[in-house]
Amino acid sequence: MDKKLKFEDKIKILEKTIKELENDDINLDSSIEKYTEAMKLIKECDDELKNIEEKVSKIVTVDGTLENFELEK
Amino acid sequence: MNNNKYLTVSAITQYLKSKFDSDEHLRTVFLKGEISNYKSHSSGHLYFSIKDETSKINAIMFSSSARNLTFNPSDGAKVLVVGRISIYEATGNYQIYVDEMIEDGVGNLYLAFEKLKEQLSKEGLFDDKYKKPIPKIPKRVGVITAPTGAAIKDILSTIKRRFPVCEVILFPSLVQGDGAKDDLVKNIKLADNYDLDLLIVGRGGGSIEDLWPFNEEIVARAIFNSKIPIISAVGHEVDYTIADFVSDLRAPTPTGAAEMAVPNIVDLIQYLDNLKIRFNEYMYRKINYNKLLLDTFKNSFILKNPMIMYDNKKQNLDLINERLNNLINNKLDKSRNNLERIIEKLELLNPLSVLKRGYSIIYKDDQVITKTSLIKQNDLLKIKLFKGDIDVVVKEVNNG
Repeated sequence: MDKKLKFEDKIKILEKTIKELENDDINLDSSIEKYTEAMKLIKECDDELKNIEEKVSKIVTVDGTLENFELEK
Repeated sequence: MNNNKYLTVSAITQYLKSKFDSDEHLRTVFLKGEISNYKSHSSGHLYFSIKDETSKINAIMFSSSARNLTFNPSDGAKVLVVGRISIYEATGNYQIYVDEMIEDGVGNLYLAFEKLKEQLSKEGLFDDKYKKPIPKIPKRVGVITAPTGAAIKDILSTIKRRFPVCEVILFPSLVQGDGAKDDLVKNIKLADNYDLDLLIVGRGGGSIEDLWPFNEEIVARAIFNSKIPIISAVGHEVDYTIADFVSDLRAPTPTGAAEMAVPNIVDLIQYLDNLKIRFNEYMYRKINYNKLLLDTFKNSFILKNPMIMYDNKKQNLDLINERLNNLINNKLDKSRNNLERIIEKLELLNPLSVLKRGYSIIYKDDQVITKTSLIKQNDLLKIKLFKGDIDVVVKEVNNG
């Protein structure tokens, strides 16, 4: 699968695939193929959600560069 | 007497009502005056009059509109209302059906708001066809608001709680007072350069004057022209600004904007899990079905009793065998009969049976002698009789 696919696109592909599988009569070989592909995508999504560390908020400064932003306590 | 020229009361009332309703000046009326005879019905509808020094008009505000009131109306209150004027047929009274009502005093701002709203609406800036879809799972969200205060705090904490993998980029902006509108415009344009999935533009609650920059035309146009989908989040739930109408999605509060902007990661993980379960269940069903199919084949009568396939053939074979045997036997019988007949015939031809009748055969050196030229005097001959034989010497040959 394309590494540049957005998360949302992956979800869309997954939704399309499960619909295809559930609605169309697909032979065993290609359904196993689709299933394997889907499991790979799900794992990628899962990893994206679970393994990426929390993002730090940034603030745009006067000169347009980004700095870390902390709320004043 | 001819009654035909006399109208019924309903007919004339309906006629007048249709006159009112077709007059476009009466469809949207901006009216200012003072409330009197104020009554709030238990249904939630409000009944009152609006009057000035010399005139009075009955007014009704249905609960659906009254729900959006930002103040408690009372007799004597000076108000600005927007509504349509029509006739209530049951009483024949004309009255104003109030859609919006605010306290006068901020009246000028309100009129400016309504004017701009109508103008931009006519231009199509609020049309649904221009609304950009809000991404469901943004990875990079821009926020244009003040760097201090409740709004940014609410937005950041909400996004962090719901979807911590999302990056937030704050464009610190003035959100009230002079310069706020220009600052907002500058930041909305600037945000286009930061590869954002989504932009939240807003501020916390405040007076109508505080929120005013979000009612400015240049801000509205900047929002309209932004390439990034924008969620507006200005003030509290009841506050509607021009920015809210023109943005791609309106959030009731900054917290609400953050909730609309990002999914809840827990829901998302759950959703993924559900997808996974669906895939697994599908695969399980598919394999199970195929297994069942295979079992059905395996258990089919023929495969379970393969010899059945041969039984028929075996029987056929037996049949053929039997027929062959019969044929051969017949043939044999026939041949045997023939042979017997031939033997009988041969019997008749047997020379021994001739000898029986007194004839004899003369051999010379195992050659049968049938004429005298074959022998000469003194040859040794053998004469074969029916029983026994005689060796003789030729005494004399007489040629016949």
